[in-house]
Amino acid sequence: MGRLLLAEWTKLASVPRWVAAIVAAVVLTVLVGLLGAASSTSDANRHWDFAVGPDGRSVRDDFHLAHRPLAGDGSVTARVASQAGLVGELQDRARAGVILKEGLEPGSRYAAMMVTPGHGVRFQANFADEVAGGGTGARWLRLTRFGSVVDGYESADGTAWRRVGTVDLAGLPSTVQVGLFVASPDAVQVTRQFGSVGIGGHPTAATATFDNVRVEPAGSPPGASWTDRDVGRPALEGDATERAGGFTVSGSGDLAVVPPEDDVVRLSLTGVLVGLMAVVGLGVLSITSEYKRGMIRTTFAASPRRGRVLAAKALVLGGATFVAGLVACLAAFLLAQPTLRANGYGPPAFPRASLADGPVLRAVIGSAAVLALVAVLGLAAGAILRRSAGAITAVILLLVLPQLVAAALPVSAGRWLQRLTPSAGFAIQQTVERGLCLPEDGCFPEGPWLGFGVLCAYVAVALAVAFWLLRRRDA
Amino acid sequence: MRQALAAEWTKLRTVSSAAWLVVAVVGCTVLLGSAMTASVDTSQCPSPASCQEDTVRLVLAGVWVGQVAVVVMAVLAVTNEYDTGMIQTTLAATPRRGTVLLAKAAVVTATVLAGGTAGVIGSLAAGRAILPGNGFTEANGYPPLSVTDEPTLRAAGGTVLYLGLVALLGLGLGAAVRDTAGALLGVLTLLYVAPVVAALVGDPAWQARLQKVAPMTAGLAIQATRGLERLPIGPWAGLGVLAAWAGTAMLLGAVVLQVRDA
Repeated sequence: MGRLLLAEWTKLASVPRWVAAIVAAVVLTVLVGLLGAASSTSDANRHWDFAVGPDGRSVRDDFHLAHRPLAGDGSVTARVASQAGLVGELQDRARAGVILKEGLEPGSRYAAMMVTPGHGVRFQANFADEVAGGGTGARWLRLTRFGSVVDGYESADGTAWRRVGTVDLAGLPSTVQVGLFVASPDAVQVTRQFGSVGIGGHPTAATATFDNVRVEPAGSPPGASWTDRDVGRPALEGDATERAGGFTVSGSGDLAVVPPEDDVVRLSLTGVLVGLMAVVGLGVLSITSEYKRGMIRTTFAASPRRGRVLAAKALVLGGATFVAGLVACLAAFLLAQPTLRANGYGPPAFPRASLADGPVLRAVIGSAAVLALVAVLGLAAGAILRRSAGAITAVILLLVLPQLVAAALPVSAGRWLQRLTPSAGFAIQQTVERGLCLPEDGCFPEGPWLGFGVLCAYVAVALAVAFWLLRRRDA
Repeated sequence: MRQALAAEWTKLRTVSSAAWLVVAVVGCTVLLGSAMTASVDTSQCPSPASCQEDTVRLVLAGVWVGQVAVVVMAVLAVTNEYDTGMIQTTLAATPRRGTVLLAKAAVVTATVLAGGTAGVIGSLAAGRAILPGNGFTEANGYPPLSVTDEPTLRAAGGTVLYLGLVALLGLGLGAAVRDTAGALLGVLTLLYVAPVVAALVGDPAWQARLQKVAPMTAGLAIQATRGLERLPIGPWAGLGVLAAWAGTAMLLGAVVLQVRDA
């Protein structure tokens, strides 16, 4: 196998055209990435007006709160008797529940147990950690504070409690605010015509009734009484009324990290799409040119085990394109980031991306891996079809066309194309979760790994077919 | 010239791949157009009439794939001769190289126009059958597609012209590059990658600029029948942009053919 690898490496490195193709892939990836960065501008920071969360990220901390102070350790319990839409329909992510918050200024630390219509009972702390509850139909919520540790519990009947989540809010002041909150995020509507998209949104408000509201110990601090207010700046004003043992609270807004409007890492890796073309050509030609010139017979005469020849070709080709791709993607990322920041893609609207972050590293290395996989896909297609024109066309149709078509079709149909075609592999370039995930923005709702796996599966199947055909057919 | 035309026609006619490619132009255009049409219905809009769907453009979207067969046919018409050495025989028989290129262009374009016409008519017929079932009925403000409508006729005829210009683009680049893989990759990059990259650029002004000069997005503006004011470029101007690309490629091909040894 070592000699086979050496033979294939010699073939690759000694043909000036193929070396040129690799260089072209690197140059195109970097150049298009830079041009893309230079021609992108964002004014998101100019109208960026959000609270800053405990970890420095921009957050939405807008809701209506009926609250009272709580001194020292204690608990707050309530049952969410009902939740309904007040302005607009009830949103999947409308929240109603109990909260324990450091203070009333937006962005301050908190822990909350809440009911959502679409996502069940959830424990949430400091905008980031969110844990789903296990019980179905649980409506009783409780938060307990012991020192700086806050635990969230759910219960279906108010007697058997199950802990959902816990958070350590180090340095929590002795007196905190506890209460009942209601939030309802903006309704977003995407209307899509063939090839164009309209995005509309409007604020909504929801109302919830709470009963069995209990704060323990009741007299701590002495003379504590309930009041209500809007925290932050919800789009619609909220309201709270107290009835015997319960409250009706209505409000608007959300408790969440504000998603960035664009993915700066993916933006700097746009050039991979163009570099890809050179890589496809390289992969296909590395075998079809052997067929054209009859070289393949010499190759098979020298090493009659054809499967090994294919494996050696795939390894050499994949390895070479991966290394070249890694150089290209690293350079594109590092060179494009300063340009992007200068063009408005800076904090706070776009958190600074660094190679030390896991997702960024995953996107850069993953893009190089996509290039390598595409080269091997080209090789397999070339081995199957034996003709450059057919193989190149097939691979490019599978990789690039779905992205165009997905952007034009209705969102649900477009997402199936994003899942089922090899172009799913580009999902690995994604580093942020967006508020609104549309195919034309290069956003894959299932996250980075599923799509990458789909591309790997295509490559594996294509290689298997190529292997089978190579052994079966005369060269 | 007549002899050159006859020679080119014989070459194209007697290669089995050409016949398959014409079938592919027609088949891909009709099939993909039908599939895309079938996936769009009025249920995603608040009311059927408010969809404002450009049904003509939707039905004709099959050329997104159909054009690939056109590109392959046009590129191979030149580069295959270089691959096999046939080009020397061709140039020995017809020493005026410009005539050879013109004859090739005429024969390939005529074939593509014929195939494109069949594909467009097939797509329109398929659209007429599919659209009413998806809620695009006359009652909802979508009269049945008919080429007697001036915009529909322009879109349908323009789509055929689009395919012809794409063929010239492929032929010109093929003559300039003389290599199947290189020419094919070049044309497909221009057609497909440019619009994808344009969509990913983060500035709407630059997006519009790129869409104005990219041959596919500009050329396919000819298919629009609704919301013309929202297009980055007008229908005929867009087709003009594609014609400029095709003309430049042909010029480049002619110069290379004249200057370089075959």
